[in-house]
Amino acid sequence: MSEEIDVKLELEVAEFYQSLGIHQGPGDIQYRIILRVLGKNEGKITQFAEIRKYTDQFADKGSIGSKMKTVFQLEGLVDKVKRGGYIITDKGITAASFLKDSTTFYKKNKRIEQIIERMP
Amino acid sequence: MDSGLLLNASICLAITLSSFAFAWVLSRSEQEHSLKSRPALWSLIILWTLVGLTYLPTTIRMLAAYFSKPTLDLIMYNLAAIPFAFVTVPLVFFIMYVIVGDKKISAYIAGTFVVFGILYLLFLYTHGVTGPVVSAYSSIFVISSDVAINIYLVGLFVIPTAMIIGLLFLILLQRMPKRIRYRTALPLVAISFVFDFMLTDMITLVDVMQLASRLFVLIGTVLAFLAYFPPMTIQEKLGIRQYPYELYEIEEDIEEEYEGVLEENDV
Repeated sequence: MSEEIDVKLELEVAEFYQSLGIHQGPGDIQYRIILRVLGKNEGKITQFAEIRKYTDQFADKGSIGSKMKTVFQLEGLVDKVKRGGYIITDKGITAASFLKDSTTFYKKNKRIEQIIERMP
Repeated sequence: MDSGLLLNASICLAITLSSFAFAWVLSRSEQEHSLKSRPALWSLIILWTLVGLTYLPTTIRMLAAYFSKPTLDLIMYNLAAIPFAFVTVPLVFFIMYVIVGDKKISAYIAGTFVVFGILYLLFLYTHGVTGPVVSAYSSIFVISSDVAINIYLVGLFVIPTAMIIGLLFLILLQRMPKRIRYRTALPLVAISFVFDFMLTDMITLVDVMQLASRLFVLIGTVLAFLAYFPPMTIQEKLGIRQYPYELYEIEEDIEEEYEGVLEENDV
């Protein structure tokens, strides 16, 4: 999972899921970005500052910190290993893999939508 | 003078009239289509016009065979070969545009099929044809050039057919509302029917097969009509009818609404 994180695409995907009534998980942009950064650093420590590099564009430090605690740490998706340092767990990798599938589903759905749009 | 030839001629006439009518109806519905779908719509209009233009001289050809006029038969065969050679061009443009969405790329790829068409006509006209062999049901010409037949099979038949099947599977394998699936898949099935049997019609050496192919081309044209203008009974049977409804906007307490529904149902 070493590919670059496209914040614009993640926003698009999150908005798509929100439009389907899914506001948590794949429909939550904060969840998406945090998990993408953690997934990218599989086996390494992810610094909180690295997550903020992406999330500062749309969320404040407090809400990201709160999301880390109330969702990621609470559900065991990450382990806090030092001050501002996290490691993704096996469960977290499963979540990251699901997130990747959600992006694939979005892209596939969008492609089919465009094909249908072009059919007279 | 066999009545089978008249039957053949009337099938060709039916294909001609229905193809022209379909092209005309499609062109009249232009305003109902979005800007994005218009290039594909116009390629369909051209496609159906070319089908009509192929079967108009073929109708005369069958009548010429009926009245034992081999020269007119040959002239009409050569005339019908022109629109037939270019049927693949709008078809390829249609498929490419629907999949890729780029007019320029689609036009370039469709352009290569113009080359195939020109080459086919070039070999067909320079090497000529043998015939006509008039039977009870049809009049058949044998193409003398092997190169023309190869261009015909590979360039005009295999590639476009593979493209249609590819697009058809792409649509059929997706989960989508029944109405949209019907609206997108049936035109492709109809085009595939018409296109494949047109090619069989032109290359076959068996008289009954020619007649059967033309019958299937006619069925394909009817299918295309049904795809765009499905009758109410078909819509109801397939569950694709869109019932008109209005939004219920009176705000009610959810518990009151639930109790009201129970009372209505006498539960």
